[in-house]
Amino acid sequence: MQRFLPAACLAFCWIAALSLAAQDLQVPATVHAGSAFTIPTSGSGSATFYLIGPASRTKRQVQMGQEIQVKPQEVRDAGRYLAILRGGGASQSGSFYVLAATPASLSFLAHPSRIPVGQREGIIGVTFVFDKWHNLVRQPENVEFHLAVNGGPPISQTVRSRDGVAWLRMNSASKAGNAKFMATLRGIEEKRVIQQVAADPCHLQIKAERNAKGVLVETAPVRDCSGNPVSDGTVVTFTANGAGGLSTVDVPVKKDIAQAELKISGPATISVASGVVMGNEVKVGGQQ
Amino acid sequence: MNPTMEGVGTESCLVQGGSNTRLRVICALAAILAFSLTSFAAPAPSVQFDISHIGPRQMEEITGRNIPRDWGRAWQTMAIASDQNRPDLLGHYFTGFAQQKLSAAVAAQRKSGLRTRYIDHGHKLAAYFYSPDGGAIELHDTADLEIQVLDGNDLVHSERVTLHYVGLMTPAADHWEVRLLQSVPSF
Repeated sequence: MQRFLPAACLAFCWIAALSLAAQDLQVPATVHAGSAFTIPTSGSGSATFYLIGPASRTKRQVQMGQEIQVKPQEVRDAGRYLAILRGGGASQSGSFYVLAATPASLSFLAHPSRIPVGQREGIIGVTFVFDKWHNLVRQPENVEFHLAVNGGPPISQTVRSRDGVAWLRMNSASKAGNAKFMATLRGIEEKRVIQQVAADPCHLQIKAERNAKGVLVETAPVRDCSGNPVSDGTVVTFTANGAGGLSTVDVPVKKDIAQAELKISGPATISVASGVVMGNEVKVGGQQ
Repeated sequence: MNPTMEGVGTESCLVQGGSNTRLRVICALAAILAFSLTSFAAPAPSVQFDISHIGPRQMEEITGRNIPRDWGRAWQTMAIASDQNRPDLLGHYFTGFAQQKLSAAVAAQRKSGLRTRYIDHGHKLAAYFYSPDGGAIELHDTADLEIQVLDGNDLVHSERVTLHYVGLMTPAADHWEVRLLQSVPSF
C-alpha cells in the first residue's frame, strides 16, 4: 500500500492540475463599456492575471481565492476580451464581450457641401453612432435629421440606426441660401452647413439697343425657375447672326445681369442662352 | 522587390564587411531592413468578399477588388505589429479610432512584456453599408484566427477561434483604411 501511495498522489495531483487547466474562468458573457465587475477565483497562493482587450493589455498579481476586480477603465473599449489566470502551474481562461455604452457622439457626414435648389434626393446625410469611448453603438437608435433654410420651414425626418449607421436622402429646398443640416440623438447635436444655390437659369430675357459703337445687349435679372437669382459668374452666351456671319460672346453674370457690347453694324438677330437654356431673340436694324 | 533588396544587402556585406566599423553598422542596418521586409513579405490572409447584400450604393468593380486587398493587408500589418510590438506599422492601413486603439494595445503589451500572435486562417468579409457618396463602407468580417498570448517567450494562452468583427473603411489617396475595427458577439 505504502509503495503505491506516492504514485497515487502524483496521479491525483496530475489529474487535479489537468482539470484546473481545463477550467474556465467565470466571466460574464457581456458587460457594458466602463462597467466594473468581479471574477471569482478558488484555491490559494498568488497568480498572474492577464486581461487582453481591443485597446489594452493588463498584467497583474492577484491572490487565488479572492475575487479579481476588473476596473471600469480596463473595459472601456468594445470588443472581445480574454481573461487568463496563471498560478500554481495551472492556467484558466475565459472570454467575454464588452458592448458599447449609451450614445455620446455622432459622426455626421453631409454631402454635398453645395447643391442647386430643387434637387430631388440630392442631399445625403450619414451618421455613425458612438459612445463616449468611440465604440460603435450597434443597438438601434432614432436619429433625427433636420434641414432648414432661413425663412423656410425645416424639413425633419427620423431614421432608426441599424448596426450603428443611420442615413437618408433629402430634397434640396426651393429657396437658395445656406441650409443648416442637423443630426440629433438624445440631446447630441451635429450641425453641417449646405449651401443651396440657384439652379440653371430660367426664362432668359434680353433687350438690345444700338449705340455709336455697336449694339448693347443686356439680360433682365437672371433667375432660376424658382425665382432665385443665379450666382455671379454664371456664363451667358450672346449670339449675333447678321450679314457678317455668326459671332458669339460669353459673358459672366454680375449682380444678376449679363451685358455685352456687340460690334455689329448691319442688321442682325441676337439670341441668348445659358447652358442648355435658351432665351428670347431680338432683331436689330442696321446702323444709320 | 524584397529578394532584390535582400540580395543587395547581403552581397555588400560579403564584399565590404570586416574591417570598417561604419560598414559593419551599414551591413547590420541592411540586415535589419531585409528582415523587416521579409516580415512584410508574409502573405496577407485570404479574404473572401461578398457584396450581395450591399446598399444603398452599388460597389464599383475596382473598389470591389481593393476593399478585400486592403482589409487583408490591414490584418497582416496588425498581426506583425502585435507580434513584434511595433505600433509604427499600424499607420498605413489603420486610421482614426482603429489606429488609436490598436496602438494603445501594442504600447500596453510592450510595457507589460507581452506579445499577441495572430495566426490568420482567413476572413469571410461582407459589405454591409456603402454610403451613397462612396465615402465610407461598413463591413462584417468572420475571421478564423489562432491567437497566442506570450509573456516574454512564455506561451500563456493559445486558442483557435472564429470571431466576428464590424469594420469601417474610408478611402485614402490610393487605398482604403480601416477606421473602426470592433469585435462583436454576433451580427
